[in-house]
Amino acid sequence: MTANDAIATSGFGRLFRGQTAIDFYGHRRVGLIIAIVVIVVTLLSLSTRGLNLGLDFEGGDAWDVPASEMFGVDEAEEVLNDNGISTTGSRIQRRTSETTDVITVQVEEVPADVALAVTDDFAAAAGVTAQDISFSFTSSTWGSEITEKALRALIIFLIVVSIFISIRFEWRMAVAALVAMAHDVVVTVGVYSVLQFEVTPATVIAFLTILAYSLYDTIVVFDRIRENEGKYAGVRMPYEDVVNISMNQVLMRSINTSLSSILPVISLLLIGAGLLGADTLAEFALALLVGMLSGVYSSIFVATPLLATLKADAGRKTRRERLTGDDLRAAVIGAGVTGRVSGQSSSKSKGGDDLDDAKAAASSNETSVVQPVDRLLSHAPRPRKKKRR
Amino acid sequence: MNRRLWFSLIGVVLIVVVALVGNLATGNTPILGLDLQGGVSVILAPVEPASSDDLIVIRDLIRNELENRGIAEPDVRVQGETIVVDLPGVRDQQEALDAVDVSGVVELRPVLNFSDCPAPDAADSVPGDSVPADSVPEPTAPGNELLPTRDGSVQCVGPAQGTGEVFVRGSADLTGDSGWGVAVGLRSDGQATWNNLANQCYEMTPTCPSTQPGIRGQIAIVLDSVIQSSPQVNQPNFGDSVAITGSFSRGEAEDLAAVLNRGAFPVEVEAQEARTVSASAGADSLNAAIIAGLIGVALVLTFLVAYYRWLALVIVGGLTIWAMMVFSLAAFVSSWTNYALSLAGVTGIIVAVGVTVDSYVVFFERIKDELRNGRTVKNAAPRSFKMTWRTIWSADLVSVIGALILFWLSVGSVRGFALYLGLTTICDLLVCYFFTRPAVLLLSRSKLMARRERVLGVEVATA
Repeated sequence: MTANDAIATSGFGRLFRGQTAIDFYGHRRVGLIIAIVVIVVTLLSLSTRGLNLGLDFEGGDAWDVPASEMFGVDEAEEVLNDNGISTTGSRIQRRTSETTDVITVQVEEVPADVALAVTDDFAAAAGVTAQDISFSFTSSTWGSEITEKALRALIIFLIVVSIFISIRFEWRMAVAALVAMAHDVVVTVGVYSVLQFEVTPATVIAFLTILAYSLYDTIVVFDRIRENEGKYAGVRMPYEDVVNISMNQVLMRSINTSLSSILPVISLLLIGAGLLGADTLAEFALALLVGMLSGVYSSIFVATPLLATLKADAGRKTRRERLTGDDLRAAVIGAGVTGRVSGQSSSKSKGGDDLDDAKAAASSNETSVVQPVDRLLSHAPRPRKKKRR
Repeated sequence: MNRRLWFSLIGVVLIVVVALVGNLATGNTPILGLDLQGGVSVILAPVEPASSDDLIVIRDLIRNELENRGIAEPDVRVQGETIVVDLPGVRDQQEALDAVDVSGVVELRPVLNFSDCPAPDAADSVPGDSVPADSVPEPTAPGNELLPTRDGSVQCVGPAQGTGEVFVRGSADLTGDSGWGVAVGLRSDGQATWNNLANQCYEMTPTCPSTQPGIRGQIAIVLDSVIQSSPQVNQPNFGDSVAITGSFSRGEAEDLAAVLNRGAFPVEVEAQEARTVSASAGADSLNAAIIAGLIGVALVLTFLVAYYRWLALVIVGGLTIWAMMVFSLAAFVSSWTNYALSLAGVTGIIVAVGVTVDSYVVFFERIKDELRNGRTVKNAAPRSFKMTWRTIWSADLVSVIGALILFWLSVGSVRGFALYLGLTTICDLLVCYFFTRPAVLLLSRSKLMARRERVLGVEVATA
């Protein structure tokens, strides 16, 4: 027992044993400022550069080139490359029926002279005349209607989710979770705008994935806050402390989960796109990577501080300084679960920073921080009865 | 208690394995999207010259119509003067041609008679159905036709006086105040056409006579030479909307609304030919995604085994079960609908691995906390699961709600995304409750754990 409760000396050891005492709330301004900077950059970039919408959104040009032994998908790709047209934004397909066999090449709109040059090159490569190649405009496949419907669905989803979180938790958590989610989506959109990546339907899917992931991550963190809130209800623990304690308790989980989610995405990016050369994967994986990193960041540095701020304004009086350092650590360890608090950790906290005006049950000779927790959780775990059914 | 846990554990493994073997044995695999597997492309051309705006309108109408018929994620675009419809997961060109046969203009024609038509051409159009009877004197203007109704009877209708274009696109909706009915908006430029016809029928002029005593003239709504409905006209002039009521069942009203909504094809289009389309992203991309994904998952598992040691076995088992379950369900869904798995979908599933792993991480971190506070493994496991389950279902429920709403309300690839988000999340919940819980609880009671002094890197109290 005693060995367990010794505070690890190294940072990682503390992390591993759940003994961290990081004052997340105290650093909330840093987190919020970074978030605001990122959002401002995104909005600036969106208003000046906009998004680079792909073929499926904007339409483009299409060629139908007769396919033959000597002209296939790879040759068509070469022609595009020779003319300086990006193949990541294009779509090259072979279309066959009993009577026809053509390579359909669709690219984002190109200037007329380039289009003519490409037509000639296709003709040369396929060994046919330019008249045999049909060149036409191709429309978007993603009509405004799809966007409208998706947006409407999204808005209804967000409303329902807000109601759900408000019922399951409380409305302030709903606000905080939605703000964090918006932050993540904005950050990802920002990456697309700043780097001018092409937006394809797959990108939209990536955005939605990020949205779902962000909400999920935030709710897991909030669930712990909610639980601790109930645990400390009796001792009127300031909300900032509850938040700090909860954040430190779920820190290891957050790190493990983020690693588990992000490793496959990094693998997609480095191995799939880098080594195996699947270009279509690259931008998609990058969007996901940025979005998921942002999702983890925002549930810690955006959602929770915001929640604490909202709650602080909600009338709960702070009666003393926030717990920091060893006091916080003691609380983090002591309240890990509804278990026993070791004597060592409770002795670690001093009554020094207790500015409590002490009308609560806490005002005995012990400190107000750990002692009530101790009382609350004083029973030793009861051994399970051996029952056989 | 133990017996129930074993039952759940073995049960879920058996079910999943049987489902997977069943699917593999019948060759039932998830359909892959256009980008991965290709499909069939149908080229539609308008029968008369159409403006590019009309073509865009037709594009949207076709996509809607396909989605309404349960053909998921078609890729519809205007290319030059034609409309190209790419269908994923369709191998057969004829099947594709039939599926895309959605053209057809809705016509508005006055009803002349309920039994037969004296016009000679009418008999040709519905062979065998009509018994020519010249005893009934009827106007025999050219263009009269005897057309079948949906319930199998026939009506004689006059020439078309308008098309479905008089209605506002997509405005038809069910009304249910006094029996099911349909309300549809009238376009400002269609109002005159509609009212002209409605007036004739209301006044019971010879072009739209009363067919039965006490009943005013009727307007037949005709699609592809089948009368969908022939409502009686009860007022001479209509404002900006028309309400059609009658003895509809809900289904009939829904069908009529669908007809009115689709009836807005500005120009009729005809399928020209079907072509097989090759994958655009190609097998390389799919393989790259799968290889990279597997390497990524292997890395995750290595990390988790290093971190959680023995308990990570449960994660490995759980993820295997989860993957098999997702595959089986995806194959099952594919056989019922044709929601195709695109490259985005494959990567989405790889990302879902992360979220699935989270339920284990939350669980195990909780056990670690409990152990640190001096509980035995045996004691800590069930307590931890109780708390974890609360967290997991709250968080997963949000994803499920999102999946349901997006699936219900959106179209195209967003819908496909919603489907796979829902599938993977529900599998996560199922595996968490029916596999992870019994596995960890049984493990915590086993001798294997009882002998160990350190679990999850935390010293264990002895009971």
